[in-house]
Amino acid sequence: MTDELTNLSFRTLFDATLEAKLLVDAAGRIVLANPAAQLLFGYNEDEICEVMVEMLIPARYREKHRRYRALFLDNPKKRTMGDGKALAALCRDGKEILLDINLSPIKTQGQFYVLAGFNVTDQRLKAEEALLASEERLRLAKQAAGLGIFDCDCKNKIIYWDEKMRELWGSSNETMSYKEFLATIHPQDRAARQVAFESAIDTTGHEGFKAEYRIINPANGVERWRWISSIGQVHFKDGRADRLVGVVRDVTEQKNLQKKLQAQRNETENLFKQQVAVRTASAIAHEINQPLTAISAYSEVALHALHQEAFNTDNLKKALEGCVEQAQRAGRSIHELLAFLQKSEIETEQLNLNELIQEALDIARNDGFGGFHQVLSLQENLPAAQGNRLQVQKVLVNLFRNAVEAMRIANVPTSKISVSAQTLAETNMALVVVQDNGSGLDKDMVKYIFDPFFTTKPSGIGMGLSISRALIEANGGQLWLDPDSKAGAKFHFTLPLAL
Amino acid sequence: MRNPEPVVFIVDDEPAVRDSLTLMIEQAGIGVQSFESAEAFLNAYGSDFFGCIILDVQMPEMSGMQLQDELFQRKILLPIVFLTGHGDIPMSVRAIKTGAVDFLTKPVTREKLLTCVRLAFAEAEKRVDEAAHKQNAIACLKKLTQREREVMSLAVQGRSNKEIAACLDISHRTVEIHKSNIMRKTDSINLLDLVRISRESDLGK
Repeated sequence: MTDELTNLSFRTLFDATLEAKLLVDAAGRIVLANPAAQLLFGYNEDEICEVMVEMLIPARYREKHRRYRALFLDNPKKRTMGDGKALAALCRDGKEILLDINLSPIKTQGQFYVLAGFNVTDQRLKAEEALLASEERLRLAKQAAGLGIFDCDCKNKIIYWDEKMRELWGSSNETMSYKEFLATIHPQDRAARQVAFESAIDTTGHEGFKAEYRIINPANGVERWRWISSIGQVHFKDGRADRLVGVVRDVTEQKNLQKKLQAQRNETENLFKQQVAVRTASAIAHEINQPLTAISAYSEVALHALHQEAFNTDNLKKALEGCVEQAQRAGRSIHELLAFLQKSEIETEQLNLNELIQEALDIARNDGFGGFHQVLSLQENLPAAQGNRLQVQKVLVNLFRNAVEAMRIANVPTSKISVSAQTLAETNMALVVVQDNGSGLDKDMVKYIFDPFFTTKPSGIGMGLSISRALIEANGGQLWLDPDSKAGAKFHFTLPLAL
Repeated sequence: MRNPEPVVFIVDDEPAVRDSLTLMIEQAGIGVQSFESAEAFLNAYGSDFFGCIILDVQMPEMSGMQLQDELFQRKILLPIVFLTGHGDIPMSVRAIKTGAVDFLTKPVTREKLLTCVRLAFAEAEKRVDEAAHKQNAIACLKKLTQREREVMSLAVQGRSNKEIAACLDISHRTVEIHKSNIMRKTDSINLLDLVRISRESDLGK
């Protein structure tokens, strides 16, 4: 080795090394920082020298670092810092970076220094690998779940979407405008989806975005509605909605299955109802038919007696007495039968009508008859009504179902059910009004609509409204139809308020 | 032998129906007996019962259809007119197939009921006559010997004396003697009489 090399100064070597290095004194002050270190931490030489080394440590670790520094002085030897784990360092621009750090003690006459070396290469590689692996995992999971991902730029109204989503929508465009997107949604579902979107980007509440809607896929050649379920989260920036990021899933099969199951349930329920109607009718028929048979026979005996030449008053008297008695008996049977059918006393409780209306709307919506838009005008702090919870719920659900079916038959583009609830102070009753925007009822139908077995539905048995009216009346209220229901049928019912 | 006057036997659990129908039928000059249940009818039944039954389908214990089966088992030949609250078609088809005269729905008119009763009475006469013929035929056949019965069974199938002789391995003359005895014992004039007796007795089959 030449003298020249032997005498190569510490400073020259220190500055020449590619690894970022700091020389720190026993008090923890930075004495020297090589150019690599200056570059790494973003300080120039003047800024970094003579400051405490804790400046390069994130505030939360500074106290701990001071203690470790004192421990190192007690037992100085070459080692890595943090047992080989990456440690966080703080750069001038406030960014934190992860570093492998090694320490070597240097002793001169009377002075003690620590030479610290910093390495980022390893960490970055590991992080990149981890990122790749995580992305791969995400991609596989996404694929397995059939999820499409979207990122909606709320300010510029542009939607970025992934391959899966483009496939669902049958589009090859990398992005699409919000307007184009809305055009792919079924007209009947647009309003509901818009409400969900608006409540998600509302800064006052922090609800997530959740919506179900049908879309059209033009790539199929034929128009085909698919059901999409979408969940997302809005990200806010400067107090305004910035991005809506989320996933979509094709739930058409689920929906169809649900619909099928619901249809089956409805069918079973209808069959059952029909059986109840048949049984009831045949019980009544039986009660009436026996006296009717006797009355018919007695009457003919009487008539025949009158025609006979040898007039038999005994027969005539017997026959007419029989007629009267049997007619009376028929009347009694009917009263007894009705009393028997209505014998169970109904249990009433205090009802929150507003809640009940909301529950019934949910039930009707999940019926599989199709969705609808609801317009509620519920009086705040509506006093409790007194009634049987199940019966009132049954009536509400029945009215909503009728409304949904009426609107479906009328083919209205956006089904809408308006419900209002208020008190009628003068009578101490609560009034509920349910209106749809179907084609309404003509005057002839209004006359018969509450009659048993009157129906306009192909599969109905015509007991719904007749039973609903009976239930409301049993609860002390009334149910009627607005005779002028041109803009959709409008049903009213009252219930007594709880005392 | 002359049949007695036919009577209508009403079986119905409903007192008012029994009473009113009794009045109606009596008014038409027909005898009536009524019973509140199928069991009551069976208990009272005697072999001299002649006429028809007006039978309610729905009764609390033994139903009308069950009584029909029971009468069939006991070989009671009274024709049945069913009365039912509602015209159940499969049920009425079954009832008619198993020998009911008619199936009437309540309430029933006088005209319909009396027409049915008259039809049922005619049916009753027919059944009784048939039964009498059968009794008679069976009695006739009982008088025959084993060999005579064999000859008769072949004769009613239309075999000639020659064929019968070959079949039974006896002489032509013997067949003629058997046949003459058969004709005498059964009081028959010709072969047609023999065929009728054979059919009526159920033995010829």
